[in-house]
Amino acid sequence: MASEQKNGADGAAVLRDRYVVYPGKPLPDLASPNAEAFHAEDRRDAKKVLFALIVRPGILARTDSMRALKGSDSPGLMTLVEWGTMDWPPLQRKVMAVVYERPTGGRVMATMTSDFKAVDEADLVRKAINPLFAALRVLRSHNVTHRAIRPTNMFWATPEKDRVVLGDCTTIPPAYEQPLLVETIESGMCQPTGRGPGVYADDIYSLGASMALLLQGRNPAGHLDDDTILRRKILQGSVAVLIGEERLSLQTSEFLRGTLCDDPHERWTTESIELWLSGRRLSPLLAKFEKRAARGMPFNGKEYLTARELAIAFVRNWDAVPQLVLDGRLELWVRRSLDVKEKAEAIAAITRDAVMTVNEKRGAAFDIMVAKVCMVLDSRAPIRYKSLAAMPDGIGAMLGMAVAAGTEVRIIAESLMREIPKAYFQTRETYNPDNSMLDAIFRDLKLWLEKGSIGSGIERVVYEMNDAMPCLSPLTLDDYVLDIRDLLPALDAAAIKVGGKGWPVDRHVAAFIAARAKFDVERQLFDLSQPNSERSAMAMLNILAVLQWRLGQGGLQGLATWLGSLMKPVINTFHDREKRTALEKDIPRIARDGNLVELSRVLDSPEEKAVDSQGFQEARAQWAEARREVRDIEEGHANNRKAIHFAQRLAALVSMTICLVTFSLLLLARLF
Amino acid sequence: MAKGKKKEGTAKRSSGGPNRILVFLTLVALVPFSLPTLLVMFVGLLPAIVAAFVERGSNRYAWICIGGLNFAGLSPWLLSLWFGHHTLDFAFEQVTSVKMLLVAYGAAAVGSALYMGLPPVVNAFMMATSQHRAVGLQADLRKLEEKWGEAVKTPDERL
Repeated sequence: MASEQKNGADGAAVLRDRYVVYPGKPLPDLASPNAEAFHAEDRRDAKKVLFALIVRPGILARTDSMRALKGSDSPGLMTLVEWGTMDWPPLQRKVMAVVYERPTGGRVMATMTSDFKAVDEADLVRKAINPLFAALRVLRSHNVTHRAIRPTNMFWATPEKDRVVLGDCTTIPPAYEQPLLVETIESGMCQPTGRGPGVYADDIYSLGASMALLLQGRNPAGHLDDDTILRRKILQGSVAVLIGEERLSLQTSEFLRGTLCDDPHERWTTESIELWLSGRRLSPLLAKFEKRAARGMPFNGKEYLTARELAIAFVRNWDAVPQLVLDGRLELWVRRSLDVKEKAEAIAAITRDAVMTVNEKRGAAFDIMVAKVCMVLDSRAPIRYKSLAAMPDGIGAMLGMAVAAGTEVRIIAESLMREIPKAYFQTRETYNPDNSMLDAIFRDLKLWLEKGSIGSGIERVVYEMNDAMPCLSPLTLDDYVLDIRDLLPALDAAAIKVGGKGWPVDRHVAAFIAARAKFDVERQLFDLSQPNSERSAMAMLNILAVLQWRLGQGGLQGLATWLGSLMKPVINTFHDREKRTALEKDIPRIARDGNLVELSRVLDSPEEKAVDSQGFQEARAQWAEARREVRDIEEGHANNRKAIHFAQRLAALVSMTICLVTFSLLLLARLF
Repeated sequence: MAKGKKKEGTAKRSSGGPNRILVFLTLVALVPFSLPTLLVMFVGLLPAIVAAFVERGSNRYAWICIGGLNFAGLSPWLLSLWFGHHTLDFAFEQVTSVKMLLVAYGAAAVGSALYMGLPPVVNAFMMATSQHRAVGLQADLRKLEEKWGEAVKTPDERL
C-alpha cells in the first residue's frame, strides 16, 4: 500500500489525493478512546458527510478488517469509505486514518456509567437488533469479527434516532476497549490487548449484552468493579448480571438468554437469531452454573467451591500454587470434592511430569505445571502464565502493543519459549483444526526467539504475528511503514534526517524485511548477524539491493550515499590498492544514481574478488622470493651458493668435454 | 609433515639401491668377457670411484669432474688394450705401468683442481653484479607493497 499524500490547504491532510481531513475540526462526539475523530470531505463529492478516525501512534490497527470492510454497505454499519496512511500535520508524522460516513444521530451511550434514554422493548428489534444483526451478517461474509460491540460504540444513524449503527472496530486490537460487562467470561479474563479476534459467538454475546443495556437505559453493573462482575458472571451467569430483576417480555428474554448464554457451544448463532427474528420460538435456554465442590478448597486464606474460581485465584497467587499441587491436595480435592476424575488424572500426570524434571529446570517446570493446571481446571479460560492472560490468537496483538509501547515483554517471550500455547492446545477437550495451525505457527515463533540474532528474535515474532504492525525502527517510525514497498523510500528519507550516522538496517528493519518479504533473504540475514564488519556491511547492502531489485524502486540517492559511506570495510577487503581507489571514486557516482543493485554488484562481484585474490597470492609469492633474494645478497649467501653451484656445474661440463674430445680424438687416431 | 619427509627420504634411498645393485650385477656379468678392461678401469679410475663414493649432497659434480679427466687420462691405455692384446697379462702389464698411473691419476688431480678452483673465480664475478640486482629487487618490493599493501609481506616481515 503505497502512501502518497499531499497536504491540503489550511494544514489539512489528504488521504489518497481524495479525502481531506481537517485537524482543526475535531469531532469529539465521534472519537473513541484511542482514535480521535476529525471532519473530513470527499473532493469528488462534497455532499458526503464524512469523518476520519486517526489511529493513535503505538496502537495496533486492524488493517485486515479495514481491507475487508472498505465499501461494505449495511444498515447496521458505518460505511468505511477509505483507509490508509497519510501525513498528519499536528504530529508531524504519518498516521493511519480511516474515513467513515458520519452517523448523524449521536452516540447511543456516552460512557459505560452514564444513563440514556432506553429503547422501548417494542422498538428494539426494528431500531437495533435488525440493523445490528444485518451488520453481523456482513461482517461474517467478510470473515471479520467486530469485537467492539458495546452501547458506547453505537450511534444513531439519523437525527430521528430510528436506527442504530455499529461504530469503528478497526483502529484498535480486537476487543481492546471492550468493558468486561459486554465481553464473555473467557474474554473478560484476558488482558485487553490479548483478547484476540475471537469468533462470531463473541460478537453475538456482546450484541446480547448491548441490547440488555439499551433496554434498561443504564448499566446495571455500573457500580461494580471488573473482578466483581467476573465473579458474578461465573457464579450467577451473565443473564443475571446484565438483566437482573428487569421485567422483560418472553420474546426479548428468550433473545437475551440465547445470546448471553455463557456456554459458547449452546450460545445462539446467527442462524438462531435469524429464526428468532422470523418469529420461530426456540427452546428456552436454562442458565448453567459452574459445578460446585462438596467441600471448599482452602487456598491463600479463602475457600473456593468451583474450579474456575480456584484457577483465577491460582493466577493471582502464582508462587503459592506449586506446593498445593505437589503435595497432592489439589488432585484429591478435584477427585473427591469436585468429583471430576478425568481432571484429577490430568492434574496427576502434569504433576508427575514436573517432578521428573531435573533440578536446574525445576523452576520453569513448576511454572509450566501451574499454567497447565489452570488450563485443566478451567478449560475454556484463556492462556494464563504468570501475569499473562490471553487467547492464543491474541498473543500477537498483545506482544505487538507491548513492543510498540516499549513495555516489558519478558513474560510473553518466556511463555512462547516454554511452549505454553502448545500446552494449551494439548489440554483442549475437543479437536480444533485451527489449533493445529496455530500450534505450527507458535513452533516457528519459538525457533525465531531461540535464534535471537538480527532478523530473528522478538522483533521477528512481532512482525510475523501482526500483519498490521508498522516497522518500529526509529528510522522509519514517523513514516508508518506498513508495506514493504514503503520501506526503502522511508530509509531514503531517514538518510537525510540522521546524516548518515549508524546503519540503515537495525533489528527492526531486518525483522520487518524478513517477515514481509515474499522472497528468501535468510542467507543475507545470516551474513548480517556475523561479527565480521565487512561481511555484515555487505549483507546489509545486499538485503536492501535485493529489495530494490525485487520491488523495482529507483532514485534512492540518499540511501545509496548513506550505504556508500558505510562500505569502507567492504572496500578494504580488496587487496589491490588501485582497485580500492577506483571503487572509492566509483561509489559516489553510483550513489548519485540511487542504484543499490549496481553498488552491490560493484562491491560484491565474485569475478573481481577472484582476480584480486589470485593477484594477491601471486604478489605475495613474488614478494617473498624477492625479499629472500635481497636478504641473501645482503648477507652474501646468494652469491656464494649460486657461484659455487654454477662453478661446480661448469667444472663438470669442462671435465666431461675434455674427456669426450680426448677419447674421440684417440679413437679416431686408432681407427684411421 | 615430518612423517612425509621421512617417507620421501626412504623412497629416495630405496630407488638408489636397486640402481647400484643393477650396475654392480652388470659389472659382475661382464667379468668373464672383459676382465682385462675392468681391471684397467678399476685401477685407472680409482680416484673417480673414490670421489663418487665419498661425495655427499644433492649436487654431486665432484666425481663427474674428477671422473671425466681421469677417464681422459686413462683412455690411451684403454684403447691400447682394446685395439692390442685384450688379455689379462697385458692388462696386468698396463696397471703396473708407472706412466699410466701418473697420467691417469694426474689427470684426476687436474679435475679435482678444476672443481675446487673454479667456484671462487665465478663468485668474485657474481659479487660484482649482485649489488645492482639488489637495488632492482628493492624497487620491486616497494612497488608490490604500494599496490597490495602491508599484507603482501610475509607474517614475520610484517612484525
